[in-house]
Amino acid sequence: MNLKNKRLSDEAFFKEREEVLAGWPTGKEVDLQEAVDYLKKVPDEKNFAKALELAKRKGITLAQPRAGVPLIDKHIELLNHLSKEGGADLLPSTIDAYSRQNRYDECQVGIDESLKEGRAMMNGFPAVNHGVKGCRQVYESIDKPVQARHGTPDSRLLAEVIHAGGWTSNEGGGISYNVPYAKSVSIEKSLSDWMYCDRLVGFYAEQGIEINREPFGPLTGTLVPPSMAIVTGVIEALLAAEQGVKSITVGYGQCGNLVQDVAAIRALEELTEQYLKEYGYNDVVVTTVFHQWMGGFPEDESKAFGVISFGTATAALAGATKVIVKTPHEAIGIPTKEANAAGIKATKMVLNLLEGQRLPMSKELETEIEIIKAEVKCIMDKTFELGSGDLAVGTVKAFEAGVIDIPFAPSNYNAGKVMPARDNNGAVRYYMTGNIPFTKDIIDFNQSKLGERSEFEKRELSFQMTIDDIFAVGKGKLIGRP
Amino acid sequence: MEKKKVVLGVIGSDAHAVGNKILDYSLTNAGYEVVNIGVLSPQEDFINAAIETNADAIFVSSLYGHGEIDCKGLREKCNEAGLNDILLYVGGNIVVGKQDWDDVKKRFLDMGFDRVYPPGTAAEVGIKDLTEDLSKRG
Repeated sequence: MNLKNKRLSDEAFFKEREEVLAGWPTGKEVDLQEAVDYLKKVPDEKNFAKALELAKRKGITLAQPRAGVPLIDKHIELLNHLSKEGGADLLPSTIDAYSRQNRYDECQVGIDESLKEGRAMMNGFPAVNHGVKGCRQVYESIDKPVQARHGTPDSRLLAEVIHAGGWTSNEGGGISYNVPYAKSVSIEKSLSDWMYCDRLVGFYAEQGIEINREPFGPLTGTLVPPSMAIVTGVIEALLAAEQGVKSITVGYGQCGNLVQDVAAIRALEELTEQYLKEYGYNDVVVTTVFHQWMGGFPEDESKAFGVISFGTATAALAGATKVIVKTPHEAIGIPTKEANAAGIKATKMVLNLLEGQRLPMSKELETEIEIIKAEVKCIMDKTFELGSGDLAVGTVKAFEAGVIDIPFAPSNYNAGKVMPARDNNGAVRYYMTGNIPFTKDIIDFNQSKLGERSEFEKRELSFQMTIDDIFAVGKGKLIGRP
Repeated sequence: MEKKKVVLGVIGSDAHAVGNKILDYSLTNAGYEVVNIGVLSPQEDFINAAIETNADAIFVSSLYGHGEIDCKGLREKCNEAGLNDILLYVGGNIVVGKQDWDDVKKRFLDMGFDRVYPPGTAAEVGIKDLTEDLSKRG
């Protein structure tokens, strides 16, 4: 394995860079020196990293939607609607699924078909095809910081294009944008490709330009236990810091039990800061993002607003720096700009009402934080051990061994032996722990919590329970009771 | 009696794996033999799997909105490959955004699909239809 958790040398980076930029004709538009000059002119209020840092200092939670359409003018119209009508604090550009697989020729078909049909035929903004020019056109036409949000295992060219285009944040990471999004990309390859993306951000940092990076916390968005999400966030934060990234937003997707979710955000922030310090990265600003419910939504729009508002309340009470907003069209598919703005308004209203309030510490909250931290420690210790101290190598081996194992992931490189289910209070627990090296105490804790539900429902623990949980929120309940 | 075979997969550049795993489980439980080609599957993979296993039906899932582009020509390619009367089902979030369902359904029926399902359809609905469609064929 050539992979090492070590800062890429300039020589290696610039050599790789030639190949990356040759991947599509728009790569030629990226001129690093010119991009540095351009990014230096980005005002603080349009810089993603600075906006997050300010929010953290003020103790407030910012709202960010997801949104992206194929054509530049329509995309600008959409983002301005979400900013002005919806009141979004931060803007996204969701990248389409062909770009995520680096199929830029198919993107061109999607762009052409969208023009011909007069409606969006793709699910996002093909930033590489639109190039630095197109990305700058978007950046210059909006009034808030903008981030690329996607699901691209190899985001190297995308990162080059968007950052040169004035977009000061990139979501993703070597685990979180591979395992939930790809079938046959090795962990080694995606870790290496994301080291490049992080190194690019590190390069800009050395020129005095702050760019934010955000590991994708929710992973498969399907009953992922908090500790598994946190492990990937901590690993990706450590790998990014090694490449010189100075602004990292670690994330987590709402599971649905208020106490467990608040515990998860607190543990996520504390553990990320703790691991960064322990490994000598002392000047990284860590912020957090809470994703409103990522699973199936109720079709009824009023009910959907209920889900959105509950997630927002959790984010605020947990003290997350940012909340990612869902829309009342979630059950149907990609929302209209009006529906998207409606989701942001509901979110902002709840955030305003809860500003400054936090869920106070309690016995229950303390227990949840402790169990999450203990679970994370088991997995992290083993991962470092498998890599003989090298986190990148350890991560590859941890996936091979099923020490890190993400439920419902499509990747062939994920063991797929772990199965979650809700306990009787709706908290997500490990029903099958696969090869995760948990202590007996942790396994017993998870089993006893699930046992309470099993007894209450008078049925055995089974995959059926998990399936019922997956559909429950869409049907109007948190727990999938028979 | 030999089990009926269903090729199952998520078409195009789509990585949504959850419904795929549930359909696999439910079809298997209902007594079908499932050939699951998984997510991110091109049309060719569906067809090759159907030929290799002599399948009775193909279940195409699409959750990300590109279904219309991805599914175009699948029936014609099946015919060219000699899979003339194979049952073709499609379901998920198959178009971008909230569109009139009757229009969407008609577009996909015109493309040669036998059954078209809206978002949020339970696995059991498709399985019931499959059992009916297959029994009509004897």
